[in-house]
Amino acid sequence: MMNDGLRVIVVDDEEGMREGMRRVLERSSFRVDLAENGEEAIKLLKANAYDLALVDLKMPGIDGFEVTRYINETLGRHTVVVIVSALATVEAAMEVTRQGAFDFLVKPFTPKDLQRVVDRAVKQRTLILERDKYLTELDSERNLSHQLINSMHEGVIVLNINREPVLMNPKAESFLSVRYHAQLRLEELAFSEEILSYIDDIFGSQPPKEEIRVRWERMAERMLAIRVNPYLRDEQNAGVIIILADVTSEWEAEQDKLRFISMVAHELKSPIAAILNYVNIILTGMFDNQVEKIHEMLERSKIRGEALLDLIRDLLFLNQSAAGKVEKSIERLELKAILKEQLEFFQAQADRTGVRLLIESTDSECPVKVDRKDLDRIFMNLISNGIKYNRKGGTLTLAVEQNNEEVIVHARDTGFGMSGKEMEGLFEEFYRVKNPNTSGIPGTGLGLATVKRIVSEYNGGIRVDSDPGKGTTFTVTLPRA
Amino acid sequence: MHKILIVDDDHDLLEGQKAFLEGKGYEIRAAGSMDEGLEMLKSFTPNLILVDLMMEHYDTGFVFCQKVRNNPELSAVPILMQTAARQQLGFTLDLYDEKARSWMKVEEVLTKPVPLDDLAEKIEQYLSR
Repeated sequence: MMNDGLRVIVVDDEEGMREGMRRVLERSSFRVDLAENGEEAIKLLKANAYDLALVDLKMPGIDGFEVTRYINETLGRHTVVVIVSALATVEAAMEVTRQGAFDFLVKPFTPKDLQRVVDRAVKQRTLILERDKYLTELDSERNLSHQLINSMHEGVIVLNINREPVLMNPKAESFLSVRYHAQLRLEELAFSEEILSYIDDIFGSQPPKEEIRVRWERMAERMLAIRVNPYLRDEQNAGVIIILADVTSEWEAEQDKLRFISMVAHELKSPIAAILNYVNIILTGMFDNQVEKIHEMLERSKIRGEALLDLIRDLLFLNQSAAGKVEKSIERLELKAILKEQLEFFQAQADRTGVRLLIESTDSECPVKVDRKDLDRIFMNLISNGIKYNRKGGTLTLAVEQNNEEVIVHARDTGFGMSGKEMEGLFEEFYRVKNPNTSGIPGTGLGLATVKRIVSEYNGGIRVDSDPGKGTTFTVTLPRA
Repeated sequence: MHKILIVDDDHDLLEGQKAFLEGKGYEIRAAGSMDEGLEMLKSFTPNLILVDLMMEHYDTGFVFCQKVRNNPELSAVPILMQTAARQQLGFTLDLYDEKARSWMKVEEVLTKPVPLDDLAEKIEQYLSR
């Protein structure tokens, strides 16, 4: 057996015994120190770390019992003690093992006897070393999980089988506004009935259910997702683990989506309700001898039907661009030429409503780098608004100017204008200014929201200035190519 | 002749219902917003009010009803509320629930588009009380 480097202390008041044991042990490659009494042994034990100690029981002064006790109490079982004694009684053997000795060697003994006892002691020493190593690792593992739990974004609370909180990480403390201490009770966490019954379910070995979401009023209206899992030890229920996660931003995004869908549903339903209403009135026959009235209702139904188509088209566009499905073909375009084309396109509509369309610009070219369809969408919306919300005999002027960086278009109408309050939310989806002037004018409520989105995709901007009763100017800036 | 006030931010529903109910022989005032409706009530005392719930994306019709009920002269006027969706923004409770109706302070909640026969019938029912 290789015992290289293992240190042994031999404590015996008989010199012959000491030397005899030393010879045997050194042959087995131990490093051996000798002590002739208890006092000397303790001095050596203090100074050096020994793997084994062979201790004579009967010595003057500090005896073997006391040396053994010293080893166990101050050194904590790190040294394996073998008692060497002539007192070979069962009582004595029991007593020394009670004192913490590992084994017992009866004098007189042969070198073989010694060898056998020492071999066993070395095995024990190896076991102890392994256990220590394992415990150290366990300790650092515990330390690691502790750090992990403390650095989590989620709040973690562990309740033992008696429903007492036994662990709470800092995040949980902040969610609950409670400091953890050993006497903390579950009631002090002030959980709602809903959460408590969830915890009860898990304690009652109900199958784990999905997380629950609760509005967390303790922290400025946060939304928390709460999950309770059983805490198992050796496959036995040892308590529960409660995990609290802040899901406010996810929840808000969901709410926005729901709000949007609800708005879309409302916006889709309104024109259909209006059309059906007209149709049903006509079908009652009550206006059969007022053809003009019927035509008026049909005309309005047509307008609402067309607006509904526009809305569906805008929604589809919005959906495609949100999904990134619209491919852009960016080209260098001369803005003035395109604006002139657009105005021509709207000429007939402008004539019908008695609005004059004008363009003011410099001679120099105004180049921009954009997708043609996006450019059309921006100005079709602005021109169409400038005509729709204008008055008979009014004008809509597109004034184009530029500097080194930007091309700027002012779409200036002489329409109803808007108050500051009416302009709030103007660029939001489904926002429409509603007042006696605008009633009956069809629109999707998506036009300006779409313009704003497109313009910002090109790092441009849109601004509105309005004077109630006098008119409105939308100013669009796009980077100059 | 019975007098009815209609409040709806949808110009066409307003015009349609006005034409229909005028054809039925009622005297109608039509308001395109809550403010316009409240203004009309200063000089016009209707026997019944028809109001839309969602106006300009808010539950403006609800606010309108609370204001009407606060006026002692109008506190007993029957109000029929019209709405395009069963569950509206910000409402988790069922509008057709009796508790909700009393909270809204309205007599009936009707789903848009309200069939004309139903509308005429409901109006007749409340006016003949």
